[in-house]
Amino acid sequence: MAHQAHAYHMVDPSPWPLTGAIAALLMTSGLAVWFHFHSTTLMILGTILLLLTMFQWWRDVVREGTFQGHHTPPVQKGLRYGMILFITSEVFFFLGFFWAFYHSSLAPTPELGGCWPPTGITTLDPFEVPLLNTAVLLASGVTVTWAHHSIMEGERKQAIQSLALTIALGFYFTFLQAMEYYEAPFTIADGVYGSTFFVATGFHGLHVIIGSMFLAVCLLRQIHFHFTSEHHFGFEAAAWYWHFVDVVWLFLYISIYWWGS
Amino acid sequence: APPSGQRGNSFLTLEGREVKVKMAARLLIRSAVRAATTCRAAPVPALTRGMAAGGIPTDEEQATGMERIVMKAMKEGADPYSMMKPKEYAGSKADPHLVPSITNKRIVGCVCEEDNTAVVWFWLHDGEAQRCPSCGSHYKLVAHELPH
Repeated sequence: MAHQAHAYHMVDPSPWPLTGAIAALLMTSGLAVWFHFHSTTLMILGTILLLLTMFQWWRDVVREGTFQGHHTPPVQKGLRYGMILFITSEVFFFLGFFWAFYHSSLAPTPELGGCWPPTGITTLDPFEVPLLNTAVLLASGVTVTWAHHSIMEGERKQAIQSLALTIALGFYFTFLQAMEYYEAPFTIADGVYGSTFFVATGFHGLHVIIGSMFLAVCLLRQIHFHFTSEHHFGFEAAAWYWHFVDVVWLFLYISIYWWGS
Repeated sequence: APPSGQRGNSFLTLEGREVKVKMAARLLIRSAVRAATTCRAAPVPALTRGMAAGGIPTDEEQATGMERIVMKAMKEGADPYSMMKPKEYAGSKADPHLVPSITNKRIVGCVCEEDNTAVVWFWLHDGEAQRCPSCGSHYKLVAHELPH
C-alpha cells in the first residue's frame, strides 16, 4: 500500500466519471427528443445510467474511505471543502429563484393588477400546512443534531433512532407538500405567481428528497458500523445538506408564503 | 450387557461414572494450573470497547490503512507523510536546515528573504551540508523513514 510519501489519496482509475458524462449527454439530448419527437426512451436511458453512476461512484468512495482507510486527515479536509463549495453553489442556485420572485413581486406589473399577490390568485394560508411544514423541518434539524451527538458519544441505539426520526420527518414534509400541491387553487401556469411559486418550492422539494436519500444512506451505514465516534464525515455532510435545505425552506416560507400572501 | 438406566446410556455404569469423574478432575486441575500461572499484571479494560461501551466503534478499534498509519504516527508525535509545516532552523553552519528525503537527493527552493518572489532552486545531495547559492543558508539532507 503506502509507497507514497504523502497522505493524499491518488484515486485508482474509474469508469464512473465517463458514465456520468454519458448519462448527462443522454439525459439532455433525451429531453430535446422528448420535446420534439414525443419519445422518452433516450431520457429514461440517461436517467438509469445516472442512477447507476451515482450508486457505484459513491459506493466506491465508501469502499476507499471506510474499508481501505484512504481518508486521512488532509483527504477528509478536502472532502469538507468540497461539500461546503457544493452547498454554496446550491445557495446561488436558489438565490436566482428568489431574485426572480422578488423582481416580480416588489414591482407588480399592470397585467397582474399592479398588486401582489396578483389579481385572481388565492394564496395558501401561511398559518396552516406551510406552518406545520416549518415545524416539521425545524424539528428534523433538532433530531439530526441529536443523531450527530449520539454518534460522537458512541451511542449506537440513539444514533439509529434519531437518524430514522429525521428521515421520517423529511418524508412527512414531502408528503404534506405533495398534498398541498394537489390541493392548491393555482397551478404553475397561473402567471408569474404560479411560475415563481412552483419552481422555487418545487426545486426545494426535490432537495428535500435528495437530502432524505442522503440521510437514509447514512442510516444504513450507521447500522452497518461504518461510522466511528471520531470519523463520520459522510454523516456530517448529510447533516450540513439537511440544514441547508431547512434554511432554504425558512426563506421560502418568509418570502413566498408569508410576505407574498 | 451392562445394565442401562432410563435413558439407555452407558454412562450410568460404574465404569462410566469413574471415567466422568476422572475427566472432571483432570479438567479442574488443568484450569487451576492455568489460573495460578496467568499473568495478571496488565489490567484488562472492562466494558469500554465497541458494542459493550455504546455500540459505535472508535478510530482506535476500526481505522485501517493509511488513516490508521497516520493516526498512530500522530499519536507518537511523528509526521512521516509531511502533513505539518517543516520545522524551522537558523540555517547556520551549526544549525542547518534539515531536509528530510526518501532518496539521496531532494530539490530545495530557498526563499532567501521573506516576500522574495524569485525562489532559488537547487538539488540537495546526501552528505555534507550545502549552502544556498544566493543567501548562503546551510541545508543538510537527512534520511526520512516511511512506514510501509
